[in-house]
Amino acid sequence: MPFRRFATAKPFVTLGFVVVAWLIVPVVVKTFVRASFFELTAPITVAASYARDLQQYWSLRLHSNGELIEAGRDLARLNASYEFAVQQTTEMQAEITRLEGLLRLPAFANYRLEHARVARRDFSGWWQRIVIRKGKDFGLTVGAPVIFTGGVVGRVTEVHAYTAVVEMISSQNVRLAGVVEGDTRPISFQGGLNPTFGPPKGVVEFVPLDIFATAAAPKRLVTSGLGGVFPPGLTLGEITRVDLSSDGLFKTGEVKLDERLGALTEVTVLVPLNPE
Amino acid sequence: MRHTLATCLTLLLLWALVAEANHALSNLRVYLFVGGLFVTYAALMLPWRAGLAASLLGGLLCDANAPVAFGTHLVLFAAAFAVLSHLRDRLPREDTIARVIVALLANLGLFLLFSFTQISGSPAPAAIWPRLIADLVCSQVCLALIAPWFFALQHRTLLLARAERESID
Repeated sequence: MPFRRFATAKPFVTLGFVVVAWLIVPVVVKTFVRASFFELTAPITVAASYARDLQQYWSLRLHSNGELIEAGRDLARLNASYEFAVQQTTEMQAEITRLEGLLRLPAFANYRLEHARVARRDFSGWWQRIVIRKGKDFGLTVGAPVIFTGGVVGRVTEVHAYTAVVEMISSQNVRLAGVVEGDTRPISFQGGLNPTFGPPKGVVEFVPLDIFATAAAPKRLVTSGLGGVFPPGLTLGEITRVDLSSDGLFKTGEVKLDERLGALTEVTVLVPLNPE
Repeated sequence: MRHTLATCLTLLLLWALVAEANHALSNLRVYLFVGGLFVTYAALMLPWRAGLAASLLGGLLCDANAPVAFGTHLVLFAAAFAVLSHLRDRLPREDTIARVIVALLANLGLFLLFSFTQISGSPAPAAIWPRLIADLVCSQVCLALIAPWFFALQHRTLLLARAERESID
């Protein structure tokens, strides 16, 4: 009879044993197992990504010569305007360096740009992250900011042998300081609202009382540069609504993030040149 | 051992396919969760130890690819495995429809438990539930569609690995 009772309870006894065993396993072992399992699945992720690229390549081959000529002409025009912008930036950079020297100001952090293809997008209601096709092999570091043409994508949270994981700003785990464009007072931004079929959203807290924003007249939210991770002035999103907070000292609001975050195929990692 | 390895291969394939589907659906902000499929066949059809090992390895596979405390999926899958293996003699487990229903219920339970462990960090936990419910509905529909195929795949893989004759009871 006792044996029969044990046989009935065996699954739950084993469950208790598994839980206790897992709790006492050293962190080093868990970290090693996690990294091993990730690296085990990384070739699958990367291979699928290359297969998608190949698929896109063959679909692009179907375009007519006329379409390619038009695209080349448009690109040449864009290149001309970008070259002009590059010249201006170089001049301004030299001016900044000269002023820093004159005023003995600390230099801004310098970054190396590392472009990377997105191997996998993983956007659930619980987390928002992407896996990119570059990792330790390209010198990426944990915490490095990641951007795209629309502004900030997120930051690198895990670096593996030839892949890296980027946590998106639409994720509830990302919290950073931003400022309204043209203002200097910092605002706390946090991602985490990602409705189905809708654009990703975030929330802002500690918004000064004199800042107003509506969906018709949104305010652009940019990185503040505080904290030293993200350079200042990168677009986070648009504040579309602000309401008085419960304490009446500040406002809280909603930020609409770029819809293109959901379809990213290529991003740029800003790798710090002096990580310390 | 063969049971575990053969089942793990099918779980790896399932993970890869679901990851690709989620990649494609990311623009629509829809996410598929099929944790129920990681444990159902192992709990209902495999020998006890092999089934438990396969479920635990499936949990580790999911944990390694999710930004959660390492072991969250492992413990949840182990709990689901314990419940299903406790009930396996009372269920018509040879019937595919019964297996699909069990997988749907297991997936529902896992999804809700997992959600409760994850939403605490959200800036507005109440606002996140409509999204989670939409994801749950999509996941259940997807699971109901692919479960018969996946159970057949697992069965066929065990046959190919010559594991089925050994000790499937």
